[in-house]
Amino acid sequence: MSLTLFSIAVLLTSIGAGAVGAILGLGGGILLIPILTVFYGVDLHYAMGASIISVIATSSGAAASYLRTGLSNLRIGLFLVLATISGALVGALLAGVVPVRALELILGLALSYSAYTTVKQLRDELPESPPDDPLALRFDLEGTYHDVRLERDVVYRAQRVVQGFSAMFGAGLLSGMLGIGSGAFKVLAMDYLMRLPMKVSTATSNFMIGLTAAASASIYWSRGDIHTLIAAPVAVGVLAGAYLGTTLMARMRNATVRKLFLPVVVYLALSMIVRGLGLHLP
Amino acid sequence: MSRLRAPFSVEHLVARILLCGGLLGIGLVLLGLVLYGAHGGFRHHVLDVRRQPAVQPPGVFISVRQVADGLGRRPIDPLAVTALGLIVLMMTPAVAVIAAMPAFWWTGDRRYALVALVVLALLAVSATLAGSLH
Repeated sequence: MSLTLFSIAVLLTSIGAGAVGAILGLGGGILLIPILTVFYGVDLHYAMGASIISVIATSSGAAASYLRTGLSNLRIGLFLVLATISGALVGALLAGVVPVRALELILGLALSYSAYTTVKQLRDELPESPPDDPLALRFDLEGTYHDVRLERDVVYRAQRVVQGFSAMFGAGLLSGMLGIGSGAFKVLAMDYLMRLPMKVSTATSNFMIGLTAAASASIYWSRGDIHTLIAAPVAVGVLAGAYLGTTLMARMRNATVRKLFLPVVVYLALSMIVRGLGLHLP
Repeated sequence: MSRLRAPFSVEHLVARILLCGGLLGIGLVLLGLVLYGAHGGFRHHVLDVRRQPAVQPPGVFISVRQVADGLGRRPIDPLAVTALGLIVLMMTPAVAVIAAMPAFWWTGDRRYALVALVVLALLAVSATLAGSLH
């Protein structure tokens, strides 16, 4: 494939990945890495380098828009990112000490349960009015956004903050130990445990993943994993896609976002269980 | 008719930095690609998507120094301009948190000024640790 054709094809693919990433709070790596390696034959290291750029570009594009509209909550994002980065640091130190397969299996089963709960609350538009959590009040973990689809202001406050913070620490821990992105776990913890509106969960995750990706981007850079001719069309496409995604998501129902998110949870649960059992799929 | 100014909010400041950083980064990436195309790069260059150990192909930069060298070269290395755009993009989230810290303090939210400071410290430790492990 010529360089021109490759750049155009990757650019168009990245627009789609950026839009999906912005809507689901994932960053696009979950889509981009397999597409770049399988369909374009890109080396896994270069694909991962392009993916880290895509996460930052999606985060910058989407979070800039979500913060202005109130869908992304800066305080909740900063508060929870404390837990994920701490967890990732501890996880990196524990890597090689704790049996990875057992962890992957436990994580896969936990994700399967999350998929089950996601199915149960698939039609829920907004969480019920929350009881006052003292930590949520103390740390101002609440907000308001105007829901374009529902045509009204939605007021929300985090619930079960200790559980949510612990889950974020766990997500960071696993991310540090297994070297996987944790955007999906962040969304699940905010949606299921902290009972934030689904759109707030994915929008806030978008802000958080950019911060954690920025911390590790320098490593990919110094390892030579970021090829400008691969990362450049990815960055341009993903940023454009992120703007498209934020526009689409604002007009979606929370239940629709959750329905789109469900296949991601099921895929992650299955892949973790398969890895945990030591099986290799063709 | 007078225009009402929206009250200052840390969220809007962070949003503006993310937007400007994103656009500046992408602007430089695009400028580099346009210059690369003008130099005939797209016609003459064959992209090797396989990574060769111990070989640094054109388009891969592993330090800021290499990017600076490429920018200082005459004629300028267009891919160094693209790499500069990627660096701007990579730094944007951290710059947003750096700006949020005094902004929280200024608005009287000392608790979140401290949270932002701890987040930055953790990011620095994380990057340093990852670097040493690498």
